[in-house]
Amino acid sequence: MWLPLMGLIIGVIIGLLTDIRIPDEYSNYLSIAILAALDTLFGGIRAQLQNIYDEKVFVSGFFFNILLAASLAFLGVHLGVDLYLAAVFAFGVRLFQNIAVIRRILLTKWTTNEEK
Amino acid sequence: MLKFRKLKGNQVVLSLVALVLGFLVAFSYSITERESESKGPVITDKQWEQNINLKKQLADQVTKNRELQTELNDKHDLVREFEQELAQEAQVFFNLAEDAEKYRMYLGKVKVKGNGVQVTLKDGEYNPDEKNINNYLVHEHHVFKVINELYISGASAISVNGKRLTHQSYIVCNGPVITVDGSPFPAPFVITALGDPEVLSSALNLTGGVKDQLVNDSIQFSLEEKTGVIMDPILGG
Repeated sequence: MWLPLMGLIIGVIIGLLTDIRIPDEYSNYLSIAILAALDTLFGGIRAQLQNIYDEKVFVSGFFFNILLAASLAFLGVHLGVDLYLAAVFAFGVRLFQNIAVIRRILLTKWTTNEEK
Repeated sequence: MLKFRKLKGNQVVLSLVALVLGFLVAFSYSITERESESKGPVITDKQWEQNINLKKQLADQVTKNRELQTELNDKHDLVREFEQELAQEAQVFFNLAEDAEKYRMYLGKVKVKGNGVQVTLKDGEYNPDEKNINNYLVHEHHVFKVINELYISGASAISVNGKRLTHQSYIVCNGPVITVDGSPFPAPFVITALGDPEVLSSALNLTGGVKDQLVNDSIQFSLEEKTGVIMDPILGG
């Protein structure tokens, strides 16, 4: 379990140390990408708890969602339509759903553990 | 062994995902931080409105100040004009006052004090060889000569035996005395004049001048330069 944690810490450090300046209009893409990544992460956790976790689906979903969200925002900026709102909405709803499912699973697990 | 490798691969993939996630979050965080730093403190609509109001007020004040400043400058100009007029008037008054003082002095209406000369005319010594006593007495024309010479040389006030002369004074020979404005005075006659002592004395001492003429008439003539001579105003003048 320590390897992913290490990866997270290294990622944070690299992110804080990077001194690349990106234009203001691209910071939208970044927030969308973060949302996508979080969504996928929680999706993965939920799948793990539901015992339907597939690594390939998780990893491909992670990167593919990030890219899709970013390109959607990019397209939206160039078309003049705030398409990134669609991504925010979709990911946001799914994030809440995933977290709700995780909470329920954990609650049932906890209650069954107590009954034992 | 196979399971372990699979687990290991699993963890590597997971850590890769975690790394990317951490990077994204941290990067985004630092960017937002920088942006908010460059944009400065966030202000709300209300503050914005207040800001605009205050700016408007400030602009109004500045305009008003400028107007008042122009007004003040105008007033300053006015005051300066008045002052100049006043100064001119004061100059005129000063000149008038000076003139009045001068004329008063000439008229003998004020007490004057200054440097001057004092001429004393005495009858000559008794001379048994001289038959006519008039030849060595001081006559009124001798006094006239001295007084005229003093006036011509710029004396501003003259008195004879303490009797100050005015523009309407008269001097008459009245036997053994001379009468100045009705007061008789015997010899010796002391004629005091106010003026530049050097000018007055050199005028009297001129070769062939008043002094020489008087001495020729056997009169004892003595000239003294004096400082701080005081002449009282003429009574009833």
